[in-house]
Amino acid sequence: MIPLRRSIAKLLGVFRNARVEGELTREIASHLALLEDDFRQQGMSEKEARLAARRTYGGVEHAKQLHRNERSILWLEQTRQNLRFSIRQLRKSPGFTTVAVLTLALGIGAVTSVFSVVNGVLLKPFAFRDPGRLVVVRETADEFRGNTPAIPDNYRHFLRLKETAKSIEDAALFRQGAGSLSVLGDHPRMVGTVETSPNLFRVLGVYPVLGRDFVDVDSAQGAGNVVLSYEGWQTLFQGNPQAVGQTFRLGLTTRTVIGVLPQGMRFPQIVLSPNIAFQETSESRVPMVFGPFVPNERDLKNDEGNYNYKVIARLKPGASLEQASAELDALQHAYSVSAHLPIHLGIAVSPLAKDVASGISGALWLLFAAVGGVLLIGCVNLANLQMARTTAAMRETAVRAALGANGTQLVMARLTESLVLAAVGGLVGVALAFAGVRLLLALVPANAPRLEEVQVNWLVLLFAAGLSTFSAILFGILPALRSLRVPPQAVLQANSTRAANTREGRHTRSLLVAAEVACTVVLLIVTSLVLRSFSRLLRQDRGFDSSLVTAAQIDLITPRYDADKVPNVRAVKLAFVDRALAALERLPGVQSVAVTSVMPLTGENWVDNLVRPDHPARPIDTPPINVRWVDANYLATMQIPQIAGRNISAADRNDPYVAMISERAAREGFPGEDPVGRKIEGLVPDDKHPITVIGVVADTRINGLKDSAAMVYMPYWAFTPWRLTFLVRSSQAGEALIPEMRRALWDVDSQVAIPTLRPMDDQLSDSVADDRFQVEVLTSFAASALLLALMGVYGVLAYSVSMRQQEFGIRIALGSSKGTLMQLVLRQAAYPVLLGTGVGLALSFLALRLVRSMLYQTPIMDPIAIGGSVVAIFVVAMVAGVLPAQHAASVDPVQALRIQ
Amino acid sequence: MPSEDEQPIQLLQGTLDLIVLRMLATMGPRHAYQIATRLQQVSDSLLNLNQGTLYPALVRLEQYGWIKGTWGLTENNREAKFYSITKSGMKALNEETLRWKRMSSLVERLLEEETQS
Repeated sequence: MIPLRRSIAKLLGVFRNARVEGELTREIASHLALLEDDFRQQGMSEKEARLAARRTYGGVEHAKQLHRNERSILWLEQTRQNLRFSIRQLRKSPGFTTVAVLTLALGIGAVTSVFSVVNGVLLKPFAFRDPGRLVVVRETADEFRGNTPAIPDNYRHFLRLKETAKSIEDAALFRQGAGSLSVLGDHPRMVGTVETSPNLFRVLGVYPVLGRDFVDVDSAQGAGNVVLSYEGWQTLFQGNPQAVGQTFRLGLTTRTVIGVLPQGMRFPQIVLSPNIAFQETSESRVPMVFGPFVPNERDLKNDEGNYNYKVIARLKPGASLEQASAELDALQHAYSVSAHLPIHLGIAVSPLAKDVASGISGALWLLFAAVGGVLLIGCVNLANLQMARTTAAMRETAVRAALGANGTQLVMARLTESLVLAAVGGLVGVALAFAGVRLLLALVPANAPRLEEVQVNWLVLLFAAGLSTFSAILFGILPALRSLRVPPQAVLQANSTRAANTREGRHTRSLLVAAEVACTVVLLIVTSLVLRSFSRLLRQDRGFDSSLVTAAQIDLITPRYDADKVPNVRAVKLAFVDRALAALERLPGVQSVAVTSVMPLTGENWVDNLVRPDHPARPIDTPPINVRWVDANYLATMQIPQIAGRNISAADRNDPYVAMISERAAREGFPGEDPVGRKIEGLVPDDKHPITVIGVVADTRINGLKDSAAMVYMPYWAFTPWRLTFLVRSSQAGEALIPEMRRALWDVDSQVAIPTLRPMDDQLSDSVADDRFQVEVLTSFAASALLLALMGVYGVLAYSVSMRQQEFGIRIALGSSKGTLMQLVLRQAAYPVLLGTGVGLALSFLALRLVRSMLYQTPIMDPIAIGGSVVAIFVVAMVAGVLPAQHAASVDPVQALRIQ
Repeated sequence: MPSEDEQPIQLLQGTLDLIVLRMLATMGPRHAYQIATRLQQVSDSLLNLNQGTLYPALVRLEQYGWIKGTWGLTENNREAKFYSITKSGMKALNEETLRWKRMSSLVERLLEEETQS
């Protein structure tokens, strides 16, 4: 207890130091006065008595110091002294302090912001029970392995595996979609939906906060009972506790709420299958309504196709991913052989967290590495400046060493300054990170998973603190260690500037600048490649023009268009489309209106096979094509050129079995033949009527800017899907048309949901959001790296010039011209810049292999990107060198020689 | 500088603390000058303390909570900080005295045995 009490007293003393110190001074003064009194009584004069008292007492300062050592925690006291000293020193050079704090704040702020996103998206475990045991299960097929590593699951295969596999505790199958939902007959809205086997929440380990979970009977009874997400409950029922038992219309049927999920339960966004682009709307990513999955006949019987579902399984405790993977794969393989399936199936298992992040993890880690690189460059800069300061402070260090400071004390005395800078920089950086996270979330493509979980939390703050300390040590340790090698005698004898500019010091500083230049060159080359790839993506010929087009997607899955209940639903749908087209055409400023079955730029969709009756072949050997149901105005509205044959015309309405195919479809389906007039078949659902090819149209990048697919366009008269997109070309760009279009469509049918209504330009811009994100982020990093390099080169030169004033003065006095002096300084800059550029080029050849997959039709050895980067760094180095060089040339010899 | 050797200082330290406590217990509140003078009188040549040793001892005892310093006036109307022993200081004095006695008799016995053998 007693030692503890003393420790507490010591600790408290840290905060009351000034008072204690004052008291000590007072006590010593009183002591001296009493001594003096005694001596006076012994007959001494006033003056003699004072001197005698002093002599008897001994060294006052020494006594004080012993008192301090006794009463305080020694290392803390030393740290405090170092802190006070550092702060005083930093105050004396506000320029350096500002640059250092800003560099660190920006660097730490950027890294911390990106770490918040990395943490939320990639690292943070899901809020499910024991999330490490959750895995995503997909099927694999040896036959498709080349381009599709894994495919979604078949219902029968799922059931069998769930029954037989021993490494799995339980597994849930589901599919995600979106539906038009209307509470009490309001205008419908599109919401994300999940149809799932009843055990999904049990597999995840989530329990409803209101009402109940699904039981197996629910799916036997049909799709009527639904569980809402917390957000769904808030949006649809305003958080009404009486919501359980309430009903609403979703799609074709009425649903009853049986439960509400807890707040913060985020449904994991796993893709159906890697490499298969499929239409995923923004609303389907955040499901609001969970309903039981009711298997249909096809699900129950089809063993060879119907790969339509996502499966999440929970591993048994103790079972490893490898075990489960091996077991499931073996089971599936054995089954596909014994059941004589036409393809060789297997199973791929991946951890849930990894699977969810798979689409973005590469880009995020790259981003993280890039900000890390920028911070590193910043630290190199600071190390350089610190090195110069250490050199300038050599005398002080020598004095410390001469007075008996040990190595640790010497190093700490210098390192404290870096720590102070990093602490301040870190604090400002964290403040910046709060804004930075918001900025990043605005930049990151909206379809990235788990963005709602991104926040600056304690882990992020801890990271920032660690990062600050790490940076301080990174840029402070080398300069600090140098003070160990200061020979006190030599330094104290020498004149300070000569000691400062030793060859060794210059060498280290130049190497640091070279390292910085190397990092910048790598970043510049990567950025310019990505930039070129992106500009190629945007500028290349797409085969269509959508600049003045506004798109409205509508959803007809409502009771009025229910195929099972409405007689002649085909005519009802046709009537809707005809009336909608006419209504949109009447809007002011509209030039042409068209309809298509799939929203442009949303990936490959409605993929079928081009089957020719005159060339029977297995479906697997026929070319895949994207089918679009359009009208006669489609080509004109999207400005797609016709290559051969004719367009769809009003005359085709009564005999709508006609098709236009794209050049690529013509090439792949009719190699070496003229397709016009030929027959194809099997494209109209539930209709075997042969289809005549009437024309060939140009290839377009209508599904996505990166590639053009083989397309078949057929009139919507042959088949009208329940999801349609109206395209309106107007004379002027702008959003004014949007509310008018919504009103026009709801005038035709108020119960039609409009999931998307936006200018095609926005749609286009969103479709390249991932690429744009990379470009924006990399560009800003490259720009800051370039700026840092500029500061780095400038810092080193400026310092060196200021140290060599005398030398330059002598040179001028001896007749050197200004030009010669400038050359001298610039040459000094040239070595590290050239060395750094060389190393940077070598490093980029390694780094570029990693970014190759991010590039679009851009060779990594792009001469413009590489050459441009080298030129950029040279120009920046020149700019950084000119000012110090001019400074050197304008040294006044008389002044310079008089300094010492 | 006081003795650079660590060993005697430590021995002295414990002893000095004990002596100061004892003095305050028997003589009542005293200021640092009185304590120093008194120590010099009692020990004379045995203990040659300078103020550099006394002040740390006082602050140490204060931090332990064994003594307490209050400002007051001397007979000559000079202000001085008077130290008095606290309750826990009395307790500590008894414990430390006991410990010191046991220790010194033990050391004595050991030394005697060593000389005999």
